[in-house]
Amino acid sequence: MKFLIAEDEQDLRDAIVNYLSDEANICEQAADFNEASEKLELYDYDIAVLDINLITGSGLDLLKRLKAQNKSCGVIIISANNSLENKLEGLDLGADDYITKPFHLAELNSRIKAVLRRSSFGGNDSITFHELRLDTASRTAFVNEKAISLTRKEYDLLLFFITNQGRVLSKAIIAEHLWGDDSDMLDNFDFIYVHINNLRRKLTTEGAKYIQTAYGTGYKFTAI
Amino acid sequence: MKALKKTPLLRKASKAFLLNSIAFMLLSGVALYFYTQSLLQNEIEEELLSTKDRVEHLLQSNPNIQDIPPVIAIAKSKIQQKNSLKDTLIYDPLQDEVELFRQLSGTKLINGTNYRITVRAMVIESQQILLAIVFIFLLLIVLAFVFLFYLNRSRNAKLWQPFFNNLARIKSFNVKSDEPIHLEESDILEFDELNQEVAHLTSKIQVDYRNLKQFTEDVSHEIQTPLAMMQAKIETGFNEPDLSEGQYVMLSALQDDIRRLKNLNKRLILLAKIENNQFTQEEEISIKNIVVEITGNFRELTDTVFELKGNTPLQVKMDPHLAQILCTNLISNAVKYTIENQPILIKFTAKSLQICNAGVQELKDATQVFDRFYKEGNQKDSTGLGLSIVKKICEHYGFYPSYSFKNKADSTENIGFHCFEIKFFT
Repeated sequence: MKFLIAEDEQDLRDAIVNYLSDEANICEQAADFNEASEKLELYDYDIAVLDINLITGSGLDLLKRLKAQNKSCGVIIISANNSLENKLEGLDLGADDYITKPFHLAELNSRIKAVLRRSSFGGNDSITFHELRLDTASRTAFVNEKAISLTRKEYDLLLFFITNQGRVLSKAIIAEHLWGDDSDMLDNFDFIYVHINNLRRKLTTEGAKYIQTAYGTGYKFTAI
Repeated sequence: MKALKKTPLLRKASKAFLLNSIAFMLLSGVALYFYTQSLLQNEIEEELLSTKDRVEHLLQSNPNIQDIPPVIAIAKSKIQQKNSLKDTLIYDPLQDEVELFRQLSGTKLINGTNYRITVRAMVIESQQILLAIVFIFLLLIVLAFVFLFYLNRSRNAKLWQPFFNNLARIKSFNVKSDEPIHLEESDILEFDELNQEVAHLTSKIQVDYRNLKQFTEDVSHEIQTPLAMMQAKIETGFNEPDLSEGQYVMLSALQDDIRRLKNLNKRLILLAKIENNQFTQEEEISIKNIVVEITGNFRELTDTVFELKGNTPLQVKMDPHLAQILCTNLISNAVKYTIENQPILIKFTAKSLQICNAGVQELKDATQVFDRFYKEGNQKDSTGLGLSIVKKICEHYGFYPSYSFKNKADSTENIGFHCFEIKFFT
């Protein structure tokens, strides 16, 4: 997969590129509006991550151009302004998703994967990880093609883990992904343990021991 | 310091006028009475003296003058006596009454005979004249004052009208609006000066208010990008291969701090948005449905039990997003501060929503509980903005938020309830 990251803050751009690049994905960068515009004209991307406030222009204008060119590129808008109008405007213009600063890289990654899954090209209802398989259409998980019963949150959690496999995820990252704004309502993330432990137990009984504890309080989904 | 009693300007002016004029009327009435009285008395005395002179004159040519009772009496006398004046009561056969007379009596030697001459004049007439004069005077002066009073009052009212109009405009002036204050122009110098000062002050306040608001918004938005960079770096750090557990703990603590900043920021932006009237959507919403939904979401996050009472759907017309925030903040406040294993009581009535969480004692500054950054105790992670957002939403829609502490009736334990109530209708 090929991504374009259009973000004017170099540190943030580097961190995103660093997080998203792996053997399956190539990340290209654009530091300002003109560079992004040029690259979008010249090349085809599967996903473009566009910051609204690019120094020399607006990410929303890039989005308009993309849509005018009829390119089949998924678009995720990044904004420093979490106002509803901005969000609606972005989505009305045809953005596939919208994320507000500050965001977790794991969250951005999970949004990108979700957009890729939904897109008509290369869209696939199935996600596999070793003997695990998730059917995203029916929201069911299978271990060796045997369905395991998961709650809604446990399914979301597993999907998030697989999407961010091999990465260290703190409780805050997981809580904000699963509960969004609701996670702000409470001061500690102890409630997360319950859900992770339940999921871990269900997977372990089927022999899929992939949820590892990292550094005491974090988690990592990996086949060791 | 004792508060001064406040009287409306026009009433105060009228009152002063009335009091002064009554005092003036009384004093001038009394003065007029005594002055006229002494005038009349002098007049009578002069008349008596001149009558006596005439009688003496007549006696010189004709010693046999008859008395005219009761006004003239002539008698021969052996004693010499000087003129003396006195009041006396005498029976007047003509009127068949005892009347008050002023009497002048004295002796005079005429043609070798010593006569005692007494002349009298009726006082009653002059008394009546006196009263008539004072009465007419008072009547005229009262009429003049009544006339002046109404003239003065309507004149005052007219004179002060621009002041009252402008006062009303200042009262209805809203710092938050972008409209400058429009004051009625006046041809009175002092009013005009006052207008200019007020216009100057209000425009300065408006500018300051706008700047402050803009500053809060700008800071809140500008801070998002650096926060995003910090957060991204932390996550990059999480995935460094040679990260130690101590470093991980530090990084995740940083992550929590960033989250606090983010929450604080989000709430400040929300407050600014409510102030900017950016929530204009209005729908009929059932508060009960919202609360049921929120408590449902909370079940995944906490073991706290919610007890819902009341069957009314509590339909309120407001922005659905704000309704959600209002209820969420109240419930999340209750969940945060309740004592462990104590249920949260939520009651719906036809007009209000009440949310109570268990607590040990009443808040020390109950009046400040809805203020920004008010924190009781040492709940480290609270932004101190949740309830001020509740207050702001209530202000926006004219709801009435209140706090009270209720002791548990049927318990010997030292536990009561912090109750937050929102009255949606009056």
